[in-house]
Amino acid sequence: MRAAAYPAFALTAFQSRLVYRNQVWASAFGDLVSIFARVAIWTALFAGASQVDGITLPEMVTYSLLAGPLLYWEYSRVLYDVGDAVRTGDVAVFLLKPLHYPSYLLSTHFGHFAFECVAIVLPVGLIVGFTVGLLPPASPFHGLMFFAYWAVSWLILFTLACLCGLLAFWLLTAFSLEWFLMAIMSLFSGAIIPLWFLPAPLATAFGYMPFAWISYYPSAVYLGKLDVAATWAHLGIGLVWLAVLTAAVLALWAKARHRLIVQGG
Amino acid sequence: MPRSLAVVPHLVRMYVRTRMEYRGAMLLAWFAQALSYAATYTAIALLLLRFGNLGGWDWSEMALLLSFHLLAYSIGASLSFTQFRNIEEQVRLGTFDAVLIKPVSPWVYLVFSGLNIGYAGHIILAVGLMAWAVTQVAVDWSVLTALYFLASLISAAMVTAAIMTMIGATALVWVRSKHLFSIFFGFWELARYPLNIFPVPLQILMLTVAPLGFLAFVPVAVTLGKPVPLLGDWALFGSLAAGPLAVTLGALHWRHCIRNYQGAGG
Amino acid sequence: MAIIAASGVEKIFRQPKRQAGFGGAIRGLFSQEFTEVRAVDGISFEIQPGEAVGYLGPNGAGKSTMIKMMTGILVPTTGTVEVLGREPHSHRITNAAEIGVVFGQRSQLWWDLPVRDSFDLNRHIYDIPAPRFADNLARLTTMLDMAGYIDRPVRQLSLGQRMRAEIAMALLHDPKILFLDEPTIGLDVVAKDVVRKFLADVNRNSGTTIILTTHDLVDIEEICPRLIMVDDGKLLFDGELNRLRTALGSRRRLKLEFGTDPGPITLKTAQLVTDEGLAKHFLLESEQTSILDVLTELGSVHDLTDIKLEEPDIEEVIRTFYQNKLTSAGARP
Repeated sequence: MRAAAYPAFALTAFQSRLVYRNQVWASAFGDLVSIFARVAIWTALFAGASQVDGITLPEMVTYSLLAGPLLYWEYSRVLYDVGDAVRTGDVAVFLLKPLHYPSYLLSTHFGHFAFECVAIVLPVGLIVGFTVGLLPPASPFHGLMFFAYWAVSWLILFTLACLCGLLAFWLLTAFSLEWFLMAIMSLFSGAIIPLWFLPAPLATAFGYMPFAWISYYPSAVYLGKLDVAATWAHLGIGLVWLAVLTAAVLALWAKARHRLIVQGG
Repeated sequence: MPRSLAVVPHLVRMYVRTRMEYRGAMLLAWFAQALSYAATYTAIALLLLRFGNLGGWDWSEMALLLSFHLLAYSIGASLSFTQFRNIEEQVRLGTFDAVLIKPVSPWVYLVFSGLNIGYAGHIILAVGLMAWAVTQVAVDWSVLTALYFLASLISAAMVTAAIMTMIGATALVWVRSKHLFSIFFGFWELARYPLNIFPVPLQILMLTVAPLGFLAFVPVAVTLGKPVPLLGDWALFGSLAAGPLAVTLGALHWRHCIRNYQGAGG
Repeated sequence: MAIIAASGVEKIFRQPKRQAGFGGAIRGLFSQEFTEVRAVDGISFEIQPGEAVGYLGPNGAGKSTMIKMMTGILVPTTGTVEVLGREPHSHRITNAAEIGVVFGQRSQLWWDLPVRDSFDLNRHIYDIPAPRFADNLARLTTMLDMAGYIDRPVRQLSLGQRMRAEIAMALLHDPKILFLDEPTIGLDVVAKDVVRKFLADVNRNSGTTIILTTHDLVDIEEICPRLIMVDDGKLLFDGELNRLRTALGSRRRLKLEFGTDPGPITLKTAQLVTDEGLAKHFLLESEQTSILDVLTELGSVHDLTDIKLEEPDIEEVIRTFYQNKLTSAGARP
C-alpha cells in the first residue's frame, strides 16, 4: 500500500469523531472541570506562597494543562483497539490487507489525537488562558524543544498502550492492563505530581523511567526547568527509551502474528 | 414489588456464577484497579508530604476523605455503573426489550442481574485505608458519631446509584447517554478533595445539580468537625438527606423515561 | 370476547437526521434535526382466544413495533391496544405474567450458564409452583428434544438448539398468549421445521394463542390459519392465507416449454405474457384452474416438453398489491 494512504486513515479517524457531538461537548466540559480543579488544588497547596522550591503558581497552572489533557491523552482507545483485535483474532483481517498494521494504528490514532487537540484541548486551553492565565515557553529554544519532546512523549505513550494491548493476546483481557497502565501513569509520569516536588531519591529513580518523558520532561522543558545541555541529554535518553519500547512492540507483534498464523487465529 | 425483591437473590446468584466463569480475569481486575487507586493516593500522599496540608486537611484526614469517597462510590456503583452504562447498548441492540417483558421491576432486574462484584478490589482498598485513617484522625468516636458516619456513607452510596440511574434512564429516551458519564467522572474526581479549595460557583454546583459534594466531603467534614462552605450547620442534615432525596428524584426520572421509552426506533 | 384488540393504532418515532459530508458533520456539532418515522399507521384488528395469527410483512413494515405495543414495551402514539382486557403498558407487570415473548434475534438465555439455570431463574421470576414447573419442564424437554443439551452452557449451543430453548423458556409459566418475533430467522431447514411443528402443536393442543411475526410465508402456512399482512405500517390484508391471493388479485404463473416452436398459442384459461418461441409464459385467470385444465385445452397436438405452475412470490404479491393501492388512490383525487 502506498504511503499516501496512511494520512487518509488519520483524516478518516478525525472525521469519524465529529459524529459524536455530545461526546465532544461532554469531554470538553469534563476536562475543563478537571483543569479548574487542578488550578484550585495548586492554589490551595501554595497557600499564598510566591514560590515553592523555585516553582511559581502560574508555572504550576501551565504545567497542569500541559501534563494533563495535552500530554496525557486518552490512550485507552489504542489499548482496546489493539487488545480486542488480537484477542478476538480480528487482527487477521488486517494481515490479509496490503498494509502495515502498526503504521495503520499509528495514523488512525494520530487522527483521533488531532481531533481531541482541536476540539477539546484547544478550547479548554483558551478558556484557561483567558481566565487564569498561561505562561509562554521559557525561551524560544525551550519552545522549539517542547515540540520535539511532545513528539517523543506522544510516541512513548502510544507504544506503551500498544504494548499493553498486545499483552491481551496472552492474558485474554485488556481491561486489567488498562488499569495497570493507569496505575503506573498516575505515579510515574508526572501527570498528577511533578518530579520536583517528590523526595529526592524518588525523583531520581522516577526520572530515569520512560514514563517521566510522557508528562514531566516535556512540561519541564517548556517551563525552562532544564538547561540547554540537560534538555539535549534528556531528549537523547527519551529517544533511547522510545527505541527500546518500539522494539518491544514489534517483537511482541511478531510473536502474536506468528501465533495467529500458525494457529489460525 | 414483593415479587421483584424475592427474585433478587436468584438474580445475584446467576450473575456471580457468570462472572466465576472468568474468575482469573476478575481477580486480575480487582488487583489492577486497587493498584491504580493506590497509586493515585500515593501521589496525593507525596504532595501532602511536601506541602503539609491541602485546604487545611492533613494526610490522615485526606486518607479518611479518599477512603470514604472510594467506599461510598464502589457500593453505589456496584449497584449501578456498568448496568446503566450498558443500557445505551441494550437499547440499541433491543435487549432492553427483554427486560421489559418480565413480570418484575425493570430497575430491580437490571441492577441485580448485573450486581457488579468487580468492585471488590475497590472496596478492600477503601476499607483498609479507612480502618487506618479512623484511628489517625482527631475524632472522639462515640456510638452516635459512628452511626452518623455509617448512615452518611449509605446516603452517599445512594447519591451515586441515583445519579447513575438517571444518566442510564436518559438513554431510554435519547438513545445515547454515555457521554454524560464523562461529566459525572469530571465532578467525581473533584469530590475527593476538600470542597473549600474550589471557587464558589464550583462549590454551588457540587452541592446542587452535581451533588457529588455529598459523596465524601460533606459527611467527612461533619465527622471531623470541619466547616462546610455554604451549608454551615445544615451540613449534617444535608448529608443524611442527600441520598434519599437523590433516590426519589432518580426513581421519578426512571419512571418517566420508562414511560417514554422509544426502543431502537422502528 | 377478543383476547387482543387493536384499534386505530399509530406509532411515530423521532429520529435524528445525519448531515452528510465534512461540513455537515461540523454543523452537526451545534444543531440537530429530527425526522418523524411512522412505523405503525392506523392498524386495527381483533384476535380471539386460541387463534394462531401470523403477522407478515417485509423488513421495516412495523411488525416488531406492533409486537412491542402488545407486550407493553412501547406505548402507541394514538389509538388503543388491549391485551386480555388490559392496556398492556400501564399494566405491564400483570400483563407480562400472562404472556410469553420470544425474540428471534435477541436471546433471553444467560449466555455463560447452562440452559437449565435460565429456566430455573424464570421459575422465580414468574413465581411458578414447583410441581407445575417440573411437569412443564419435563414435557417441554421431551417435545423439543432438549435433554441432550439442557445442562450445557448456552454459548456452546447451535442456533436451532438455542431457539428451541428460548421457546421452551417462554412457555414454562403457561402463558395465555405467546408472542414470537421472527422465531425462525437464521435457522436451517430442519430446525425451522421442528419449531413450526412444535408451535402448531402448542396452539392446537394446549390452546395457547399465538401471534408471530415473520417474513417467511411457510411459517404462516404451517402454523397460522390466519394472516395479518402489513407494509409500510399499514394493514394490507387480514384473513385466511388461502384467501390472500384472491384478495390481492395476484395470479399464478404458467410456463410451457416445447421441443419445437408451436407458433402462437391462445388459451381461454390463461393470458399470454411473454412468448419466447420455445417457452411461453402465461398468467392464470382463475384460482380454480388446474394443470389438467390447461393440458385439456392444449390438446396433444403440440410437442410439449415441460409445464410449470408457479405460486406468486409473497414479496411480489405485496409489492403488486401495494402499487395497485397507490395507483387507485392517485386515480381518485
